[in-house]
Amino acid sequence: MQLRLIVAAAGMAFLHTLCAQAHHSFAAEFDGTKPVRLTGTITRIEWTNPHSYFYLDVKDNNGGVNQWACESGNPGALSRRGWRKGDIKIGDALIVDGYLAKDGSRLIDARRVKLPDGRTVYGGSAGDGGPADSSAAAPAATGASKQ
Amino acid sequence: MKPWTVLRMLMLWAVLGVPAVGAADRATGKQEPSELQAEGLLGDEARASAAPAPRTSDGHPDFSGFWKGSHATKPVGNIGKDLPGFTLPLTAAGRAALHDNLTKVVDPESRCIIGGIPRHDASALPFSIVQGRDHVAFQYMYTYFRSVPFDVRKHEQDPDPTFFGNEIGWWERDTFVIDSVGFKSSNMWIDENGNPQSDAMHATERWTRPDAGHLHVEVTIDDPKYYTHSFKYSRTWIAGKPDEHLREYVCSENNVDLAHLGPGPGGIRTDGTRGYDVAPLPAIPPSPEAYGK
Repeated sequence: MQLRLIVAAAGMAFLHTLCAQAHHSFAAEFDGTKPVRLTGTITRIEWTNPHSYFYLDVKDNNGGVNQWACESGNPGALSRRGWRKGDIKIGDALIVDGYLAKDGSRLIDARRVKLPDGRTVYGGSAGDGGPADSSAAAPAATGASKQ
Repeated sequence: MKPWTVLRMLMLWAVLGVPAVGAADRATGKQEPSELQAEGLLGDEARASAAPAPRTSDGHPDFSGFWKGSHATKPVGNIGKDLPGFTLPLTAAGRAALHDNLTKVVDPESRCIIGGIPRHDASALPFSIVQGRDHVAFQYMYTYFRSVPFDVRKHEQDPDPTFFGNEIGWWERDTFVIDSVGFKSSNMWIDENGNPQSDAMHATERWTRPDAGHLHVEVTIDDPKYYTHSFKYSRTWIAGKPDEHLREYVCSENNVDLAHLGPGPGGIRTDGTRGYDVAPLPAIPPSPEAYGK
């Protein structure tokens, strides 16, 4: 537990000092008080600028299926973290942790993504001022990145 | 050292904004680069060359290269970085414009509009310079550029408003001076923090390359419409590796964000940075049903 807290605090320290280099601030689009986990199946992938998007079909408790959009960093940023475009494909099951959009749409900031190969990567836009994610703190130590 | 002592130190570092790489090094005993360094966006001060700056065949310092930010530039993206308390000398009109930017205006850059000058000078993003015989070309990460001619001392008469302004340049010994007027009257933020910039702005950039590993600028900003007096902003970049260069980035390719973005840059901390000081992402966040979705 103590180790987990230390890693979390290190994550805060890292993200606190990140620079304003994102395409937009986290706060302009997402709600830092509404963390959410999506567990679903990929239906579309957009490996694009200024952000990459992937779309998940997520089952709700009533048996319905809702499509969610997940916003990630741009392709160059994701690649530098070791997340290549071939790491996900349509039909893959993903677990994505992030934050809900402020406008109430089914859109999240995909800050932590568990890939099909078992790696967990930081999917957000570095330096957007968003809440810290301990998985971003020490990727080499946690095995979260190939870098 | 006890774990809780380490934790308290890290929390303090987080609040004070001390370079995170140092915090992590102390906590883990490993040399772990910060995220920006891991992503190749920050230069490596320890490896920056102190050799004399290269020169072009005509004797000017050669600014050509791929230039990356430094941990020493704090807070990045804040044009008031060098002012006491990061407080800008806003006029009443400037305060009103800032209020509009914070409450009504979506960040122009997130709408894929050129940031312009001096915002690009305050950005954390790397950039390239290609220096020719009679001009200096700046290439920015969002695939924007500006080209400034040498030895032009007079601005165009009634120039068309632009985001980089009507730019003229000349050499003063080893300093390249860029003098810019004629900016847009809207859709410009002077920095990442949403501070305002008017069409009355006059920016004077003084660029030097003190050695091979560093590039420096001092910008004098004079905008009587929004600021009571002129002020300065300065910073230094670190030379990237020879094989580093800008890559394609088309901002308007898939700007899904646009329909979802609200106004302003987000919260501004007392240390002049943007962002949240809230709890990290939980290990297992709730499902959408927790929010009725």
